[in-house]
Amino acid sequence: MSLTKSAIFATIATVMAGGALRAQEFKIGVVVELSGDNATGGNVAKRGYDLWAMAVNETGGIQIGKKKYPVKLFYGDAQSNPSQGAAAAERLITQEHVDLMFGPYASSVANAVGPVVEKYKIPMINGSAESPLVWKPKFKFVFGSIPPVNFTGAACIDTLAHLSPAPKTAVVFGSNDTFSSSTATAFNEALIKQGIKVLKFNIVPEGQDLTPLLSAMKGLRPDLICFGGHDEELINLVKDLHQIDYTPKALLMHYGVTEPAFAEALKGDANQVFGGAVWTETTKTSSKILWKDSQTYAAASLKAFKVAADYTQGGCSAAGIAFQVALQKINATPPLSEAKREELVKALEAVDVETFYGRIKFATDGDYFHANSGISSLTVQIQNGVVKAVGPAKVAEVPTQYPMTPWAKR
Amino acid sequence: MELLPQALVDGIMLGAIYIAIAIAFSLVFGVLHVIDFAVGEWIMLGAFAGFYLNLWGKVDPFLMLPIVFIVFFGLGYLLQPVIQRVLSGHKGNPLLMALVFTFGLGMIFRGTAQTFFGFYSHSIPSHFSNGSFYFEKGSFFLTISSVRLAGLVYSGVITLILNYLLRYTDFGLAVRALAQNKEAAGLMGVNNRRTNKVLYALYTGITAMTGVLIGVIISVNTKMGAEYSIFAFFVVVLAGMGYLAGVPAAALLLGIIQSVFLVYLDPGWTLLAVFGILYLILVVSPTGLFGKGWV
Amino acid sequence: MTPLLKDRRLIVSALVFLLFLGIPAVVHDTFALRMCTEAFMWIGLAVTLDVMAGYTGYLNFGHQAFFGIGAYATAILMMKAHWPFPLALAAGGALAAVAALIIGIPTLRLRGSYFAIAVWALARAIQQFALIAAWTGGPDGMRLTAFLDPQFFFYVMLGIVGATFFALWFLLERAPFGLKLKAIREDQESAKALGLNPTHLKIQAFILSAIPTALIGGVFAYWVTFIDPGSTLGDLISDQAIVMLVFGGMGTLIGPVIGAVLIFSFKTLFWAYLSQYEVLYIIILGAVIAASVVFMPDGVLGKFMRKGLRRAARPESAPPAAAAGKEA
Repeated sequence: MSLTKSAIFATIATVMAGGALRAQEFKIGVVVELSGDNATGGNVAKRGYDLWAMAVNETGGIQIGKKKYPVKLFYGDAQSNPSQGAAAAERLITQEHVDLMFGPYASSVANAVGPVVEKYKIPMINGSAESPLVWKPKFKFVFGSIPPVNFTGAACIDTLAHLSPAPKTAVVFGSNDTFSSSTATAFNEALIKQGIKVLKFNIVPEGQDLTPLLSAMKGLRPDLICFGGHDEELINLVKDLHQIDYTPKALLMHYGVTEPAFAEALKGDANQVFGGAVWTETTKTSSKILWKDSQTYAAASLKAFKVAADYTQGGCSAAGIAFQVALQKINATPPLSEAKREELVKALEAVDVETFYGRIKFATDGDYFHANSGISSLTVQIQNGVVKAVGPAKVAEVPTQYPMTPWAKR
Repeated sequence: MELLPQALVDGIMLGAIYIAIAIAFSLVFGVLHVIDFAVGEWIMLGAFAGFYLNLWGKVDPFLMLPIVFIVFFGLGYLLQPVIQRVLSGHKGNPLLMALVFTFGLGMIFRGTAQTFFGFYSHSIPSHFSNGSFYFEKGSFFLTISSVRLAGLVYSGVITLILNYLLRYTDFGLAVRALAQNKEAAGLMGVNNRRTNKVLYALYTGITAMTGVLIGVIISVNTKMGAEYSIFAFFVVVLAGMGYLAGVPAAALLLGIIQSVFLVYLDPGWTLLAVFGILYLILVVSPTGLFGKGWV
Repeated sequence: MTPLLKDRRLIVSALVFLLFLGIPAVVHDTFALRMCTEAFMWIGLAVTLDVMAGYTGYLNFGHQAFFGIGAYATAILMMKAHWPFPLALAAGGALAAVAALIIGIPTLRLRGSYFAIAVWALARAIQQFALIAAWTGGPDGMRLTAFLDPQFFFYVMLGIVGATFFALWFLLERAPFGLKLKAIREDQESAKALGLNPTHLKIQAFILSAIPTALIGGVFAYWVTFIDPGSTLGDLISDQAIVMLVFGGMGTLIGPVIGAVLIFSFKTLFWAYLSQYEVLYIIILGAVIAASVVFMPDGVLGKFMRKGLRRAARPESAPPAAAAGKEA
């Protein structure tokens, strides 16, 4: 055979082999914030998706019938910017030809990516975005493994309201960004429902030094201080309270409390702070898929990344499990055709599975269409530098430490 | 009304930090006519330097301020000639070019910091962080945190040192001569180049030290720079560009505005008020509150 | 003044524009079309920024304010008042023109650096306002009805940016207006002596830079389907536009186009294929700006292309100020 002919044969063979290989794996696009303001959270989400992909591939892949299909992740950096998120999604769909999509950390980016996946009919699961507004457009192809923040907020207030001596007054602050203000609003509404008097409710600019506000509020002596903000602001708040020497009976904040950086930065002052979470490393769960309970997952995360897992990371790994279960149900093999993806959406809507993270069951009606209504939120408290679940009562691991020990005595 | 003393005191404490940020910045502007867009990043770098020194050395950050000063003095000294080259360019508007240059510099600092230090927030612990003073008399009460008081003292000391330097030393004389008339100063025997270098180095050293202070009182984060650049501009413009004596008053005013909004008005409007006031003052009196800024 | 048909730069630009028009017929990849659309957007932003920065000598660090005004006006009119897109877009442009007039009158009296800071402060104030006002959606931003037609947006963006480019070409390179602006940039006092009214001219330039920017912002809103104060009124927009402008070359219309294309291409390639090193991008971008200022103050255009182009377009008449004075 001449050189040219064998070259041609070789090329055809390689292409065919490549094509054949391509059909042996599921391609999943990951739109996350690898840079920009939300890079910290974006990297947490990425770890969650990565851990799931690694674990599935370790078993050989997703089992469809008799064969196993590994998964391959393709990343698009949203740069913490909604328009870049949409562009990243489009690139992953039209150039990398991904079958499925994992969603970003921030709700604002998720808002821009939604229409894109809806247009191309690519099923997407958000492991992180908690804003209630993400679910408003009722996109058919968009799901979320995490419940909206108003549920988490209400659950925390419920736990606090039942402590004794019962708190009677509260102040609520929130930073003026979409997640934090939703959190603060959720706290406020829940407090009013529980009959606790909200003495002050303010949304403040991001990053603002709150000392004057806190000093003014000190005179009111509120039992509860509830704050919605991001990691830096949470640290600043505790420091400010220490500096003006005011210790409320309970201090409640949301995401960021569970991050190791919080306890590291504040040391002893971080103890007894309450937070909201959807999952912790010690939550009692039991599952037959990949990780049999929370502790197993936490250990796997520590081994792979040398960093403790938090609920955002868990939610992202759980998103992978939801895809896995649904794909198995409809015997889907890659590449997924449009018809198959439509079928997948129906299968996702029917998913009801227990995972290490908790129960996943996507809502099919109501205001939070396709959010995870199967999981309930927890109230956590930092005790001795470790995050522990303290509510609701049936999942509490330890009793609450209440009221807070004054700063000066720590 | 009982809240007023506390609100004022808190405003002054906030203002103290702003004095520290703005005073060296104003000096550099007054003499070198450089608006350093990277001022916030110098603060950030200083804060991280303080954080890591404290982490490894286990020494109280206030004791480490001199080390941080020396290191950043050196950095500024080495960097200044590059800025000088931009300023003495013949193309375009050199001042605008210098502004853009420092803007690029700020990006380099920020990107480098994010690469090596990551995205998490930190806090620098100090022995001063644990105390506070509390006065109560009837319905009037006042809490002053020790660490913020230390900040006020720091700002005062820096201001006094700079004042002494400018008025009573040869170096200060050289600086003031330069500010008035570059050519004439050179003719009078002032070593322009060296004075410029020392001045800029002084600025970076002081600004980095202020970063350590902020790390103790507030927090440390690779993204903190932008916010402090904003406050630095505000204070310097309000004081009158290059008019050092106006800085304390302007800084305290900024602190009090914020405090008043947080306590008495809707806190959400605080930054809107800050920027709005900055804009209005610039439009009405570009030479600042006292009318003595560089025109 | 070189006759229209002999103006080599203009002919080349027109040909390039016609070439761009043909792209969607050949390129069907939606992602590529999206990237082209975004490239046009940045060209538009860099060029409009240059009207103030390069031609008039006033660096506008608050350029994003007009972008945001256009974006929000379009979004609010379309979603709350149910106006059709073209009408909402035009209204956004008109609003920006009015804003430029109102802002320009007090602010343009200031000197260069003060103007830069003042307008930056105002832009930040506007951003804060968007964050707290109820009808802008606050920090949650606003959603627009999704209309994802890549070709539609390609043509709309190209159309607006192209029209802006050529309109500015006529006004700034061929009409006395450009010379008058340059006269003010060089020496405001002398310009006054020649009978020019700097304030009027500056305000006209400001309005001229504002309208296209707002139109681009409006298109952006409809195109991305979601806007919030951070992405439309934040520093991201103006920071990158300034980099593109300085890198490309201020004071010309082709400079910012080159700068926008080069920086945007670099940024996109980095983002698409090297996203794990994204943090390095900030360092590189900063280094590019710093290096440009030190080694290439006239930008890429000035360094590499000035000689050839200057021969093609040098007006044979007297120095700018005098010519402007004569025709004023």
